[in-house]
Amino acid sequence: MIEGIDLFIVLFFITGVFLVGIYFKRFIRTSEDFFLAGRKLAWWIVAMSIIGTNIGSYDYVGGAGAAYSVGIAQANFEWLGAIPAMVISALLFVPYYWRAGVYTVPEYLGRRYNQGVRTIEAALWGLFLIACLSIFFYASGKMIEQYVGWDLWIGITVTAVVVGIYTVTGGLTAVAMTDVVQLAVMLVGGVAFAVIGFDAVGGWDGLVSKVTAEHPTHFDLFLPMDHPDYPWLGMVLGLGLVLSPAWWCCHQAIIQRTLGAKSEWDAKAGMLGAAFLKTLVPLLYVLPGLFVVALCTEQLGTKDDALPWAIRNMLPVGLAGLVFAAFIAAIFSSVDSTLNSAVTIWTRDIYQRFIVRKAPDRHYLHFGRWLTVGFVLIAAPLAPLTKEFGIYKAMQMALTIFQGATLGTVLLGVLWARSTRWGGLTGLVGGVALSVLLTVAGVNFLYVAWWSFLASLAINVVVSLATKAEPLSKLRGLVYGLVMEDGEVQDALEERAKGGK
Amino acid sequence: MWTWLESLPLVWAKVAGTIFFLLVMLWALLRPREYVFRGAPDRKAWRDLRLWAAVVLLVQIILYIEF
Repeated sequence: MIEGIDLFIVLFFITGVFLVGIYFKRFIRTSEDFFLAGRKLAWWIVAMSIIGTNIGSYDYVGGAGAAYSVGIAQANFEWLGAIPAMVISALLFVPYYWRAGVYTVPEYLGRRYNQGVRTIEAALWGLFLIACLSIFFYASGKMIEQYVGWDLWIGITVTAVVVGIYTVTGGLTAVAMTDVVQLAVMLVGGVAFAVIGFDAVGGWDGLVSKVTAEHPTHFDLFLPMDHPDYPWLGMVLGLGLVLSPAWWCCHQAIIQRTLGAKSEWDAKAGMLGAAFLKTLVPLLYVLPGLFVVALCTEQLGTKDDALPWAIRNMLPVGLAGLVFAAFIAAIFSSVDSTLNSAVTIWTRDIYQRFIVRKAPDRHYLHFGRWLTVGFVLIAAPLAPLTKEFGIYKAMQMALTIFQGATLGTVLLGVLWARSTRWGGLTGLVGGVALSVLLTVAGVNFLYVAWWSFLASLAINVVVSLATKAEPLSKLRGLVYGLVMEDGEVQDALEERAKGGK
Repeated sequence: MWTWLESLPLVWAKVAGTIFFLLVMLWALLRPREYVFRGAPDRKAWRDLRLWAAVVLLVQIILYIEF
């Protein structure tokens, strides 16, 4: 349990983040300011915000535990399972999203295919993000309870109030700028942990010799095909080729930062800058997990006890507070981004599309703010249920179920002009249906993603070839290989963006 | 389904991973110059996003060959 100077550091951090967040209220005048930071974000803010959003508290606790258990193969989720997809996202998908002037990925699909595809995608992502919000609130409350000693509800309430207020007032600008501060704290905490750990184990050579003495495969990135959790082929096909591109090319909370970039170059550079930062992420949790393997002689209850052991036994006074502040940073940056993205989808793709179509801009700004309050009030009280009903596992399953089909639909939408609205719709629905069947049959989630992706592509191609092609005038500026840099096309895209169509 | 793959030495996993990184790098390097610079305030070499992509993937290739 942290106390004294460590507790002061944590409280100082929370107060600082809160003040930074509400400072940006002054820049919010329109709904575009609120949802897309007025499209003024520089590339380095986009990069840091993407990584801040991506790292959650479970990455620390669960990731360190997995590294303790299987070794650096856990880093595949940050390297093979991220970097190639981020390069492809930056140089293929992001430019089309950004030029189209959309606020959400479903909005892009609506323009490329039809409103049915948009609505299905918006509903899937909208519900998924709200479930994530509850899980993050629970994780935050649990972490504060475990390390600070506050009651679960106090931890949840502090998170909801602090993050809720600056997200309501400052929108994406506040979210992105606090992400920058939060990621900086995470990296400083990670470097400090690494310095102390290497000192304790006798440097890199000491770490390798101590760990491999009893765990010879702990420094192998690829594990054999018969490994129950991380078979190498599943890593390459499921994680590298499907789950990872689906996450980095289609995840609303990730893509929304690039949509707020001040230029197309900043959007692309933001994603590539994030790839550089992503390379460093294993430093934050894989390394501590390996330090525990090298130093811990007692039997841990579960692998998730690895990081708490490291904090209790390795870190001096002051540094424990800094590392715990990094945990809080990870959870706050995930909560604020998920909250803002959920509100963006529900406002733009559901409310503005089906309920109030043509209202003054300020109406959508106010609605977005009230919806942010509403989501906090819904998700925070439901947070403890996430453990009771195993919702965390359900969330992971849900993600696997629709990510492969989403990627297939977006990929053909961007790359193939012949893909039609019916192809997109049936490919999406068919891919999701196959995922459900495979999941019920007990297939490993990595292979579920792979086969649903292939099914989505196949159905889309067959149905598209059997249906009438879309007119080229509809596709210009939205599909690779068609005119992108024509002034008339760009004007048409911007006109449609204003109308939210 | 993958029985025949289970008999392959693990080094083939490294080969597959490295080829994957190299293909993405090649694809990134072949993006047109106008495309990667679009929206940039100037054409200085450090703004060439093809180089960013190549460097970040090169780091990955080194890591996967080493481990």
